[in-house]
Amino acid sequence: MSLQDWYPLALSRDIAAGTSAGTRVLGEEFVVWRDSKGAVHAWDDRCPHRGMKMSFGFVRGDHIACLYHGWQYDTAGQCQYIPAHPDLEVPQTIKIPRFATIEAGGMIWGCFNGEDSATPPAPDLPSEITPLRSIFADCPAPLMVAQIAKTTFGETTPDVAAKTDRIVDITLGDIKLIAGVQAIADGESALHLVALGELDASKLKPLSLWAEQLRRDAEAVAKASATTEIAA
Amino acid sequence: MAEGSKGVKRERVIFTFSGRIVPDSFVAFARHRAAKLDLPLAVLASDDSSVAVAVDGQVDLVDAFDMACSLGPHDCIVLDVERSPAPAALFESRNERTGQ
Repeated sequence: MSLQDWYPLALSRDIAAGTSAGTRVLGEEFVVWRDSKGAVHAWDDRCPHRGMKMSFGFVRGDHIACLYHGWQYDTAGQCQYIPAHPDLEVPQTIKIPRFATIEAGGMIWGCFNGEDSATPPAPDLPSEITPLRSIFADCPAPLMVAQIAKTTFGETTPDVAAKTDRIVDITLGDIKLIAGVQAIADGESALHLVALGELDASKLKPLSLWAEQLRRDAEAVAKASATTEIAA
Repeated sequence: MAEGSKGVKRERVIFTFSGRIVPDSFVAFARHRAAKLDLPLAVLASDDSSVAVAVDGQVDLVDAFDMACSLGPHDCIVLDVERSPAPAALFESRNERTGQ
């Protein structure tokens, strides 16, 4: 796998304790789940038994169980129990590859360098944030980022500063946002948006509507670009 | 059939898979499946009509190995499977833990 460094996967708020969600980074599929103690895990989204997505499974306490045949995996990714063979001492070979995770800037980040590889330093992001929302768009991540400055917030033109290809600072008048940019696949992307500091509740809805407009604008540009390519 | 430390039943079995066999392909397939199931495996014989292997482990895992190898790799067709007890000495002298 050629994924390097930290990738934003979701807003921390959106993965509650005892839940799981599937996600992708550059086409690779992962399950993100949070155990009952609040720890976040990112694994290959595939049960070694029959290949079912683990993100369809159930989190119970500190393990996640596959939806298909109920194989249960502990937080180390090791299968501990197979319901159809309750007396079986499950071999250590039945294990799901897992990856490093951290939470920074109100987002869950995954590092997919490999289970035994050293993890890079965590993204330098503030802890005092207000989570806004994630938006998912059918367009490449660079196009989505380029579109941010072109989608006005009321009368305000966003001021955009890309710190990296995965962290973008956005200023909308007196509101400062951070976007975690997730390249889901070639033509799919997500922005995980948080606001710096505490945000007045009255601003949540306008910001959410702005994010939706941003998605529509970015998808329209991507569609127009694809149409032009076909015509050419 | 013997019982392990936690009362889990274990067995040592010789499987003879017969049919249209590509020996290298089938043996590699069997080694891979045995490794997945953490079963020690000994290859006893192989030609283009049959492969004989012995495995030692928990009954459920040995059964899983049986089922996996009954399907075989894509270039082999298994028509018959014979199963017989394997002597302990077989593993003492020829034991090989696959995948390591």
